[in-house]
Amino acid sequence: MIKHFYSYHVEIESLIVEIESLPIKEHEKKHLISLAESQIHHAILDSILSELSSDDKKLFLVHLNSKNHDRVWKFLRSRINDIENKIEKVASDLRIELYKDIKENKGQA
Amino acid sequence: MANNSSTYQRLRDKWIKRHRDLQEKLWAAHGDVISDFISSTKNFAIGSISGLMLLSSPVANLLAPPLSLSVEEKKLPVDKSVFLVSDISNVLPKEVRPLTQEEEDSISKILTRDFGFRVTPELQGIKLNRSYGYIGAEQHLARYPGDTMATHFEDSSDISKFYSSGMAPGLGAWGYFTNSSSSLSQKDIDREKYYIAVQTFLAPGFAEHTGEYITFFKFRKMLVVNPQNGHAIVVVIGDAGPAEFTGKSLGASPEVMRYLERVDGSGRGPVLYFFIDDPEDKVPLGPVEIK
Repeated sequence: MIKHFYSYHVEIESLIVEIESLPIKEHEKKHLISLAESQIHHAILDSILSELSSDDKKLFLVHLNSKNHDRVWKFLRSRINDIENKIEKVASDLRIELYKDIKENKGQA
Repeated sequence: MANNSSTYQRLRDKWIKRHRDLQEKLWAAHGDVISDFISSTKNFAIGSISGLMLLSSPVANLLAPPLSLSVEEKKLPVDKSVFLVSDISNVLPKEVRPLTQEEEDSISKILTRDFGFRVTPELQGIKLNRSYGYIGAEQHLARYPGDTMATHFEDSSDISKFYSSGMAPGLGAWGYFTNSSSSLSQKDIDREKYYIAVQTFLAPGFAEHTGEYITFFKFRKMLVVNPQNGHAIVVVIGDAGPAEFTGKSLGASPEVMRYLERVDGSGRGPVLYFFIDDPEDKVPLGPVEIK
């Protein structure tokens, strides 16, 4: 699992535990975990970029690429109000969807 | 086992579809900026992107084995000036006005950190009237008696780029750079090539300490930075001006203007200009890169 700048604010361990509990093969679990992480990642990026001007989007991508999490946060906090809660909300909404998918599938199994 | 396998397949298919939808949404809304970012970096290779699949194509093959999503964490080489631009933008006001002391201190710290030599708005107790303002284009200066546009350029490529700027009818504030063509040194050449004109006459205390201030300002090294592209250049104060009524705070040689990508007239823009503390004269004149 890659550590992202938002990892501290986005809880996905419980989702991973849920996937790990599925009666499927190890490589299948890994694939599902990767897909779940990637969905959350894309949703968070989209929500952040949607709040930024064109110039600031470019700066954000540069900061993101720098892998300096402090710099990313400093930049985002200077541009977007309440950014932590916005990221948490996006991740939480999607996590609920992913949970729901898992539960439905367990019901069908 | 058949049920277990279908559990995986159902989830996989559903999540791949959602993943594609999210990717397509991201690219539809921000693809232009992401593409620009990719093309502005060097040695880009799909799959070596930080932030996982941030820049992956919407048509990425997610049906591939799980390992295809184990993206290597690797930084793309990017222009360091982008960080400088970003850091400066967090300090500069939206309007072009004299900076507060706090703003100058912050800019000073950023520039000193990024360029590796001390950059300061005040040196030896002397400061200019401002450190952030609109820059205008100056002409070439005669370096010695008899220096004309015909003798001014050593490089033919400079003629095509800078000849049209012409030569100022008068001398710079400090007179000629040297006494004759035979005594013209590389230092003289660089001083004329990389010079700015600043409003020395508006410096606080100038009227009371004119002689001392002129001595201080003469060929004093400064760092000029275009805050919008991060281009920075080490220059000397080679002239006094421009007049207040022009609305400009400083002027620069054709070479300096070109490097900064600044123009005069309606397209003019602001620059930062700070003193360089270089008592041993070790900082070379000309464009300077971030350390």
